[in-house]
Amino acid sequence: MSEAVAASTSGAALEAQQLGKRYGRKPVLENITFAVQPGEVYALAGPNGSGKTTLIRLLTGLAFPTSGVVRLLGQDIYNGGYAARRALGAVVEAPAAFYPHLTGRQNLEMVAYLTGMLNAGARIREVLARLELLAVADQPVRTFSLGQRQRLGLASAILHEPQILILDEPTSGLDPQGISKVHEILAELAWKGVAVLLSTHHLREVSAYADKVGILGGGRLLEEVRLGAKGETYRLRVDDAPRAAAFLKTVPGVQNVSLRDVNVIFEGSPNVALAALVRENFQVQFLEPDYFDLYDYYRERVKNA
Amino acid sequence: MLRILIWELGKLVRLRSVQIGLLAALVLPALWAFAPGLRAQYGLELVSGWQVPALSLLTGMDFLFPFLTAMAAAEVLGSEVSMGTLKLVLLRPSPRSRLLGAKIVVVLAYPFILLLVSLLGSLWAGLPFGLGSFFGGTGVGEGSFAGVGQLSPAEALAELLRAYLLAGVVLWPLSALAILYAVIFLSTTSAALAAVSTLLLMRLLVAFPALQPFLLTSYLDLYVRPEAVSWGLPLLIIYTVGFSLLALLIFERKDI
Ligand SMILES: Nc1ncnc2c1ncn2[C@@H]1O[C@H](COP(=O)(O)OP(=O)(O)OP(=O)(O)O)[C@@H](O)[C@H]1O
Ligand SMILES: [Mg+2]
Repeated sequence: MSEAVAASTSGAALEAQQLGKRYGRKPVLENITFAVQPGEVYALAGPNGSGKTTLIRLLTGLAFPTSGVVRLLGQDIYNGGYAARRALGAVVEAPAAFYPHLTGRQNLEMVAYLTGMLNAGARIREVLARLELLAVADQPVRTFSLGQRQRLGLASAILHEPQILILDEPTSGLDPQGISKVHEILAELAWKGVAVLLSTHHLREVSAYADKVGILGGGRLLEEVRLGAKGETYRLRVDDAPRAAAFLKTVPGVQNVSLRDVNVIFEGSPNVALAALVRENFQVQFLEPDYFDLYDYYRERVKNA
Repeated sequence: MLRILIWELGKLVRLRSVQIGLLAALVLPALWAFAPGLRAQYGLELVSGWQVPALSLLTGMDFLFPFLTAMAAAEVLGSEVSMGTLKLVLLRPSPRSRLLGAKIVVVLAYPFILLLVSLLGSLWAGLPFGLGSFFGGTGVGEGSFAGVGQLSPAEALAELLRAYLLAGVVLWPLSALAILYAVIFLSTTSAALAAVSTLLLMRLLVAFPALQPFLLTSYLDLYVRPEAVSWGLPLLIIYTVGFSLLALLIFERKDI
């Protein structure tokens, strides 16, 4: 292993270096290297069977890689003993599993005990309320619906206020309100400095608040897409698009003008562009930020992989 | 650790194989006590209720108790795998060895629970035959069922307790082996099947006299062979410790 690999990237809450996993002779993951900084939301995307769950099992120390290392807050998760998991909250596999004969609250009490939390009663109440589970908290988990179990999963993961949160498809099985609730909680935790890694098939939803998206395909990390540049590109519909595009290219303060279908795409000041077009008597139908369509991008990327 | 042990015990009594096993252990003695035809077949006539426990032990230890023990031990881990709760616990900052250690302790306690239920069931089934002093033997002491004279209830109980304790220890290696297989296969049925197959295979290995002193199956009737205890007991304990340590070692690096 080279020096560069052995040295830890400073500051990362979660980092994986050259992770590889084979089952028998079949490689499921190869050479996965990435890092999640505190406060960052990292989404893992990839088709079924691309290795998302396997990667998450490796990252959480449930499974062991054929090669490579994982560090949580700089601690090696495979050789650092169980202490390395102190900062970790995780749900692996959807739906989250609990003891069916125990109530939701009792399950969380057991989780709190195993985490070494003392007097967790108040905190348990808090997370149950946060995930709107108080009404069913004292029923056996066997009576929970799929979505309620998923929420309890997230509740158990954030129970001890971890600095690293790893979730496998946290929104699968949830109703639309549940999904936005989960996204809201994750965005809030990231804002507080928690490093969040999640796998998902809902790219459009996650791209609203994820900072990076890692695209897995065929066991490799095909690409990391940074979603930082949100909102700097605009899209506008106008009566004569080709002529408008040609005109906008001559306007100072407007850059990278291009045509996409019937829309004109540009970067720069929307005010300046709009004023110039109106002055020239173009009929502007709408102008809006052109969100990077992760889903379209992802489809292209996976298809060409 | 105590809290984890209590949890594990609570989960144990909820397992299907444990519930069925305990029920079987409870009902088996009644079969002996209330089926004269069965006793006639073995040429036995009961003179006291104190003789029923030995009959339960003789018939149970032949196959039923080892099988039930292996089944329960396999399910203790296998059920957590199939429910997915093993992941829930292993994600927590708590050593894997602590979790499996608690399971091993509970699994080793199970043969005694099973045998205690069997003993209680036997004494209950033996009530109609009387539990006072009697002329004869308990079947697990000197002179077997014929005995060597009069036996007081206290003496009978002491003989039975000793035999049942020994029988429990005899089942230990099997418990440990089944949980070792459960760690390897992470499946109740595979582990139970592997443990029972091992048991049956060992029975066949009796054909090799050189191996016989080292086979677990040679000691299934240890409780009626006092002369074999000094060699057999340490051997059984060594097997138990060995299988348990191996299970702990493998579990430490097992993909879940
Ligand atoms: N225990 C195992 N033994 C052999 N192959 C396995 C094992 N676990 C996973 N695989 C293989 O690894 C690949 C990745 O599986 P994984 O469950 O990680 O995919 P995923 O990205 O989570 O898929 P999904 O989107 O369906 O959840 C699959 O091809 C699967 O067959
Ligand atoms: Mg998956």
